[in-house]
Order: sequence, then C-alpha cells, then structure tokens
Amino acid sequence: MTVAVRVGRSVVASAVWLGLLAVAATIYTSGGGAARDLLVQELLVNLVVVLGLQIFIGNTGILSFGHLAFVQLAAYGVALVMIPVAAKATALPDLPLGLGDVELGSLSATVIGIVVAVAVGAVVGVAVARAGGLAATMITLAALFVVDQVVKNWTELTKGAGGLSGIPRLTTNTWLWLAAAVALIVAHAFRESRIGRFAVATREDEIAASAVGIDLFWPRWIAWVVSIAVVALAGALRVQMIGSTNPKQYTLDVGVLLLAMLVAGGMRTVTGAVVGTVVINVGNEIFRQLGDHYEIERLPELFLGGVLLLVMLVRPGGLLGDADLAGWLPRRTAAPAVRRDAAATATSRPTPPVPVDAERAAAETESTAVAAPVDEGVLTATDVVVRFGGYKALDGARVRVRPGEIVGLIGPNGAGKTTLFNVVTGLVAAQAGVVKLGHDDLTASPPHMVARGGLARTFQNLRLFPTLSVRENVELAATSAARFRPDVAAPDVAQLLADGGLAAVAERRASTLDYGSQRRLELARAAALRPAFLLLDEPTSGMSDRESAAMVDQVRATARNLGAGVLVIDHDLGFITRISDHIVVLAEGKVIAEGRPDAIRQDPAVVAAYLGRDAAGVS
Amino acid sequence: MNTFVQTLVDGIGRGSTYALLALGISLIFGVMHLVNFAHAELITVGAYVAYFLSTRGLGWWALAPAIVVSAVLASMLTERVAFRWVRTASPFTMLLTSFALERLSHALWQVFVSPTKQSFDGPSWAFDTVSLGGIRFEVHDLVTIGTTAVVLALTAFVFRRTLFGLSVRAASEDFDAARLMGVRANRVIVGAFAFAGFLAGVAAVLTLMRSPSAEPTLGADPLIKAVVAAIIGGLGSFSGAVVGGLALGLAEVVLRGYLPEGVFERLTDAFVFVLIALLFIARPQGLFTVRSAERV
Amino acid sequence: MLRIEDVTARYGAVVAVHGVTLHVDAGELVALVGPNGAGKTTLLNTVAGLMAPARGHVYFDGRDVSGAEPARLVRAGLVLVPEHRRIFRDLSVAENLQLAGVTASARDRALRLDVAKEHFPVLARRWTTAAGFLSGGEAQQLAIARALMADPRLVLLDEPTLGLAPALVDVVFDLLADLRRRGYTLLVVEQNARRVLQLADRGYLLRTGRLAAEGPGPELAAHEDLFGTYLGDAAEAETADGA
Repeated sequence: MTVAVRVGRSVVASAVWLGLLAVAATIYTSGGGAARDLLVQELLVNLVVVLGLQIFIGNTGILSFGHLAFVQLAAYGVALVMIPVAAKATALPDLPLGLGDVELGSLSATVIGIVVAVAVGAVVGVAVARAGGLAATMITLAALFVVDQVVKNWTELTKGAGGLSGIPRLTTNTWLWLAAAVALIVAHAFRESRIGRFAVATREDEIAASAVGIDLFWPRWIAWVVSIAVVALAGALRVQMIGSTNPKQYTLDVGVLLLAMLVAGGMRTVTGAVVGTVVINVGNEIFRQLGDHYEIERLPELFLGGVLLLVMLVRPGGLLGDADLAGWLPRRTAAPAVRRDAAATATSRPTPPVPVDAERAAAETESTAVAAPVDEGVLTATDVVVRFGGYKALDGARVRVRPGEIVGLIGPNGAGKTTLFNVVTGLVAAQAGVVKLGHDDLTASPPHMVARGGLARTFQNLRLFPTLSVRENVELAATSAARFRPDVAAPDVAQLLADGGLAAVAERRASTLDYGSQRRLELARAAALRPAFLLLDEPTSGMSDRESAAMVDQVRATARNLGAGVLVIDHDLGFITRISDHIVVLAEGKVIAEGRPDAIRQDPAVVAAYLGRDAAGVS
Repeated sequence: MNTFVQTLVDGIGRGSTYALLALGISLIFGVMHLVNFAHAELITVGAYVAYFLSTRGLGWWALAPAIVVSAVLASMLTERVAFRWVRTASPFTMLLTSFALERLSHALWQVFVSPTKQSFDGPSWAFDTVSLGGIRFEVHDLVTIGTTAVVLALTAFVFRRTLFGLSVRAASEDFDAARLMGVRANRVIVGAFAFAGFLAGVAAVLTLMRSPSAEPTLGADPLIKAVVAAIIGGLGSFSGAVVGGLALGLAEVVLRGYLPEGVFERLTDAFVFVLIALLFIARPQGLFTVRSAERV
Repeated sequence: MLRIEDVTARYGAVVAVHGVTLHVDAGELVALVGPNGAGKTTLLNTVAGLMAPARGHVYFDGRDVSGAEPARLVRAGLVLVPEHRRIFRDLSVAENLQLAGVTASARDRALRLDVAKEHFPVLARRWTTAAGFLSGGEAQQLAIARALMADPRLVLLDEPTLGLAPALVDVVFDLLADLRRRGYTLLVVEQNARRVLQLADRGYLLRTGRLAAEGPGPELAAHEDLFGTYLGDAAEAETADGA
C-alpha cells in the first residue's frame, strides 16, 4: 500500500470510531447533568492515553508500566508555564530555571509539555528498546518511580506531594474530541506504517524478525517515542481540564485502570483499545455508582482488578482478540505489493543465464538455467570452530555455496549442522572461522545484518509470525527487502504466494495453517527477501513422502526465480539426493565427505556415519 | 566508626526483608518462569491476621507464628486459584496476571475490611536499645539480622540437603527432565509457593515488629524493592536474590547518608532506580547468570 | 510388558507418529531404528508420559497408562533416558542420582546409590562434581545410572550414543548388553542402526512416523529397506542424476 492509501484508511477508520463515540456521547449527555459531561470528558482523556499505550504495548508486545510518568511530566510541564506569575510567586517562590516569570497560553504550554515528556522519553526509550522483554518492563517501572520520586521530593519545582493547582481550565470539548481524533489517526497510521509493521514483527517472533532483516531496536524506540507523545498530549489536556495535578493521579493504581482498558478489548488492535476503553469506563462508572448507593468504598478497584484477572485467565487476547475495524476496509490489491520505481520492476523476471566463470560452466553441477544473480559472490564458511562449554560442536567445519547451486548439508544427529547454520546467519558466535559472502565478511555480523546482506533462512522449529495473516508474513519480508536491500528487484508477493500454493489461504492467520503449508509459507517469506542465498533448516521435517516431493519442486522453483544459491539441511536423504547438486557430509563437527549425491551414497565413511558399524567395526 | 556500623546494621536490617522477599520471588520464577507481583501481598495478609488476633488480645508469641502460617496458606491459595491456570501462558500474560492479583488484593482489603490504616501493638522490646562494644543497637535490628541469618541458613539446608529442595532446583533447571525422574509437577510448584510464603511470612513478622499496622497497600513498596532485588541478582538464582536484597538495602541507606546536601539527598529512591535501570542496560540477565541459551 | 497400540502422536503442529503398534516382552532388548524425523523420540516421549497420544493406547503390564504422568510411570517401573541426556548440570553427580531416587524410600535410595557407585566407577570418581562439567561419555553413564535409581523393569533409551566418540560408543553398548544380562527390559532408539540391531532381540524400523519393517534384530539389520530408508532409495537417486 502506498502512503496515501495507508493514511486514507487510517482516517476513515478513525472517523468511524469517532462518529460512533460522538453519537453515543450525545445520547448519553442529552440525559442532562454536568456529571455526565465530565464522564465523557474523562473517557476521552483515557482514550487518548490508552491509544498511546496501544501504540507501544500493543505493537511491540513489551509491557510498560512507565507511561504514566510521561503523562505526569507533560502535566507538570504545562502547569509550570501556565500558572499565572502572581500565583507562582506565592506558591512556588523558589522556582528554578526562571520559570517564575513565565506565563504562556494554552497551545504553547501544551507543546512545551509534550516536548518535555518526549525529550525525557526519548532517552529512557533507548534503554527500553535495547533491553527488550522483561528488562524493558522493569526499566519502565523504574522510570515511573524515578519520576514519582523526583516530583515528590523536588519541592522547589513541583511543590511536592501536594501538587500544583490554579492551572487555567481551558480545555474544551472541542479540544478533547480533536485530541481523540488525532490519537486515533496516529494509532491507526502507526500500526499500518512500515515501522509499525516491523514493530509487530518483533512482537511476534524476535528471531524470525531479525532473520528477515529487521533491527529490533529502531521499531521499538520509534513506537515508544510516538506513544509517549500521544500520552503526553493527554496529560497536557487533562491538567487544563481539571486545573490541578498531583502525584496521586499518576500512581500504579491508575496504571491498572489504563492497562485494563488496553487488554480487555484486545491490545493488538486499535479497535480493541477503543472498545476496551469504553467498556471499562462504563463498568467503572457503574461500579462507582453501585458503591455510592450501597456505601461500599473502592468498588471500582475491585471491578478493575477482577476484570483484569479474569481476562488474563480466560481470554488473554482480549474480548475481541484480533478483530479490527480497519481490517474490514477494502484493500486495493491491484496496486503492486511494494512501492518501487518502474525501472527496477522491469528487471524482476529472470533473464537468460550468464555463466559467471568458465570453471563453473564446465563444473559437474547440472542445475538448470539461473538468472544473473545480483550478488555475484560465493558464500563460504571456513574453519569454523564452536564450543558450548566443554563440548565442541564444530571442529573446523567448512562449506561453500556458489550462486545458483544447491548444496545439501547432511550428517547424523548432533553433527553440528544447525550450529553451522547459526554461525553463518549470525545467531551463534564462533570461536574461530570466517564467513564470507563474496567479498563481504559476515563473520561477526548480527542476524539482521546478515539477512540484509542477502542471506535468508528458515528454521528447524518453524518460526512464523503466528497471529499475522499468511500474506502479511510474506509482505513483511518484502517490505524489509524494499527498505534494506534497495539494489535488488522488488519481490512480487502475490506471485510468491501462488508459487507456494498459498494464494487460497492468504488471508488466514498463519498459526491456523496445516503443517505443510506453514513450511511452505516460511520458504515464501524467506524468498520475499530476494536473497542471494537461501538457508533451509530441515524443510521437510515432519512431512510425508508426497509432501517432501512437492517441496523439492518448490525449493527448486524458488531458487531458480531468485537466482539464489541454496544450502539445505535435511535428514530425509531421498529429498536431499533429489534436490542437491553437491552434498557435504558433517559428522562430529567436521566434514567427512563431499561430492555428488550418488557418490556420497556409496562412500563407506558416510554409510558408517549413518548406519553405524557393527561391533567388529564393519559397516 | 559508630555511624558506619549503625549505617551498616540499618542497611542490612532493611536489606534482610528485601532479601527474604526476593528469595521467594526468585524461587517462584525458577519453577514457573513467573515474576510474581502479588508476592508482597502476603505481608498484607500477615498484617491483617496480626491485627485481627491482637484485637482478640493475643500477644506476639501467638502473632508471629500466625503471620507465617497465614502467609504460607495465602501463597498456596494464589497458586491454586490463579497461577495454575496460566502455567503455560506467555510471559506477558503471566506478568499481568500477577499484577491483576496484586491490585485485586488491595481492592479486596479496601472493600471488605477497611481502607484506613489499622494499628496494633508491636512487641514491647522492639525499640529497646542494647549496647555492644560501645555501640548502641536497637533490639529489632538485631532480631531482624539474627532471624534472617537463621532463615537463610535453613533455606540453604532445605535446598541443598532435602529431596524437596533438590526437586525444586532440578525442576528450575529442566522441568520435564525432573518429571521424567519421578518428580510430581504439582508438588514441586505448590511446594515452591509454600516455601516462598514462609519466607514472606518471616519478612512480614520482621517488618510488622517495627511498624505494627495493617493497611491495604502495605505490600506495594516492599514489592518493588523485592522484585528489583531479585532481578538484579538474576532471576532464579538464590545467592543472587540474597545479595541483591542486601545490596539494595545498603544502597538505600548509604546513598541517603552520603549524597550531597539539598535536592539530591531527597532523591535517594530515584537514584537507586536509575542505577538499577543502568544495570539492566548493561547486563539484562542480572548479576548471577542462571539461564541457558534458547534453542533455535 | 509394554504394548503400544495404534498410537498417533503430535509434536507441535506435526503429526509425528501415525498409528504405530509395537510391543516389548520382559527380558528383551528391542531396537527402534529409523532416520531422523521418523518420530522415534516423539514415540518414546509419549510412552514415558511427557505427552498424551492423540489416538491409540499405551499398555504397561496390561494396564492402560496412556497419558499418565511420568511420575506415575516411574513408580510403576517404566523409566526414560531422554535424548540429549538432560542431566541437571547445576546439580552434582550425587544429587542427580539422589533426585532420581525420589520415588524410593530413604533406605532404598541409599542402597541404590551404593550400587550405582559400584557399577559406575567413573561416576564414583566424580561424585561431588557438578554434572555440567562431565564429559559426554560420563554424562551418558550418569543418565543411565539415574534411570536405574528408580529400580525400573523397563528402560527406554533415546539415542544413548548421540555425540559420543567411537570408543565411548563401545562402552555404552557394553552397558546395554550388561543391563540386559542383569534382567532389565530395554527399548532402545539408536542412530547406530546396524550395531544396535545386532545386539537386539527384535527391531522395528520407523519411517516418517509409520512402521516400515519389523523382525528379529540380525534379520532386520540385513533388510533391504534399511539402507533405502536411511540413504534414500535407489530409484530416487536415479531421478536426481537424470534431472
């Protein structure tokens, strides 16, 4: 989709939600009473915060407790520049930074509030994005407490636990609805943007994301910063709505309320966030009134904790799961899957073969015509040594794959085949050895750089992006290729799906496919990277003989279309024999034989390695 | 010298509570890969039980064991009612579940008992002073350090010498392999929760001895310190949890005493958290490594 | 003693075992061979109780134990030495063995520890060493000694010679022969097909989750299907040449 289409879809979806909310709000407030107006206002502020949370937590899968800290920073930032000078003179006589003389209008103050929050947020975000996982969550928790402590203790600046009041109450309904609209559009747009899709990939499977060239840091950091900006907007508006701010408004307690709103509907979609916000707000209000009626205090807290627990135990995906309003809007599939300029698309089909050198033309390989590969380099791994503790997994292993060649890597269990793959693709560090693609030394490169360099892989244990559709799995890799491998021709997603027999199931969730289709999907995704080399780790594992035979054809066809070389591990020697031009046999971390398939089958060393020798050493 | 020793004792006193709680958190993480945000709620349970019993006229000789027993039972209850359901869920779900449980606990106390602080009497000797080698100590500090030392020794014994402890250690390393040896999965997990409850109960006694009051959010502050301490030490590592807890307690006291005057002195907690965040960046797995590489 | 009837089992999304039927009688050494990905490990894991069969039943001593917890099977006398050994690296050799005796009384456990020391002098020498520091061969002996601590009647072994040097492979095979002599019933999954089939009373050949052949050990070793199953059929090799 082009940028214009994406933004258009975001605006439309946002407009629909806004419309629904406006109608509901109008009906509700027509019942009369300032209390109802206030509730709608509260709901709108909460909505903006939750949308901000959705942008980060929903898309990266990293739980954050710290966003309220930035709401607080924005609120205090606004307060300190908006409170009239006269009031500040009495309430905050020792204000540092010359703030005592500053008095700004609503718009400037809001901007300043957001800037302050984003500035601090950007720095904290570096730590969060680098750490990932549980460590990132703890860092956000640390941020929450640090800001809380600073605000409570830096009394000259913040008046401590008592908080600030006297902020002009300039937030109107119009501003709130506008903010809600902005938040909705940003949340939708981010989710559909390239960086947003990359963030989602990191959420689905970190290793697979790296394997298609996605750097884990940037999508997370950008998601964080954007989310901070959105929640800061909410903070700035809220403080101008109620006219005061104090640390009690930003505690972990309040955080629960917001998290409950996020997860109750389903955190992975904007739809879920909106529905969850409305449901929880309404429920909260109902319980508040029940509590008032029966004179039970804190009933809403009970409701919230209970709902959160129930959702986690029974339906962790949220009430709506992945149901998404934006997903129902029509997609224009006629347009090319990835935006490219015309010249590049013209070269995307294979051209007649061009022998790279005379030696290769005369070589024993009988592979059929290949396209002129973009990277003319040969993939080599030499003298690789890997030790895990005291155990030597690889002991001077080596392998070489030429462009357009299919090399099979075989050997008994524990021979080190997957370890060799992991060394080549950057997942495992070798103690010795060199990995090169042409002239590029890939030896110590991280997995995403290896992928960008032109090496795509599949995994022994199958790593798809499980909650994304089949199409999206492939599109992500294609988007990554367009961004990080600009020299290669654009991948045709529709064609790749068709080649893999996946066109009929393109819109289904990847995790719902049958096993054989999942394997083919992984291959199609790897191909979407337009790699110079495909590394396939046991692609036929678990397949029947018939499926394995089909896989031979698919791998051959894929490699041919890409003009790529292939290195494949498999235990099904029938498959390997049929597909390989050349076979390398690994045993105990070393190469014990290599050559043409029929020669390998008869090599006594190989037979012994597989079938074993009897007690007399005879095989 | 006097101030130094007193600072040390003060720090270890605080750190002991953190260490006991952190140990419980690390223990549960080891067998379930769950960071239990609801763990410190066991202190709240103990506090209310103590308050309830003291209004019935019972003295501390009865309160102390009651606190510990109630903590054990409450811990086992949380496993049965909530955590058993999410044993195989994602880390995100497990984390939010424990978080939800913590909040629910706060709410339950607030709604069904009282939102206000209920004070009762601590042991009469808690704040007496004792002179040792010319330095004045408060009895509660000495009791805290002494009790913690005994409990840690007991813990070490249980985990190094008993079959149960062996089962927990094995299950933490490789749960399925432990099952194959004949270890019963449920027993190990429930046992871990029970032992963690015992540790939390002791921590509760030591805390309440000093400030005997019960309120719904009593567990909130110790929780964060304990989780942080467990993570600093490396989740799943016993020695790490203990070192992490003690270090945290010392850091708090030392920073408060030795930071420059003015604003910074009041920002002790903030500094501690910044240091911790820096640690996570530098070494996300904590000080003591226990984890093994992921299989690709 | 052990009867597996029409068992179908999954490994993740894959159906790894399709309707396999086999049996092991008391005192036998039965070999289960086949190329990787054939479903052998999944089958053993299912028998040992790590997962329940999707279809079919597992009978031990005539009782249906399909899907029973491993702990119950261990107490009944069925023990698995898993693939890759899976010893507890942070625990010492002694602790590994003690843990494996968890189903026994304290007295029996102590007795069996002494027996283990006697039969595995290699382990006796490394009694208090952390298991993570053991060599491959020592680790395999520990894995087997561990299984014996439960005083089993049937021992399942999943690739006991995996990753071991040839000299150590000899040691392991000697151990297996010794165990059979001492009265243990064994079901062994082995990569070293020829060797284990020579030792075995009977063997089963598994291929892509299904039983491809069965028979007395030495007969199966010479079976025409064996070579083809492992190294690809001749017909397929010809296709590659002619392609």
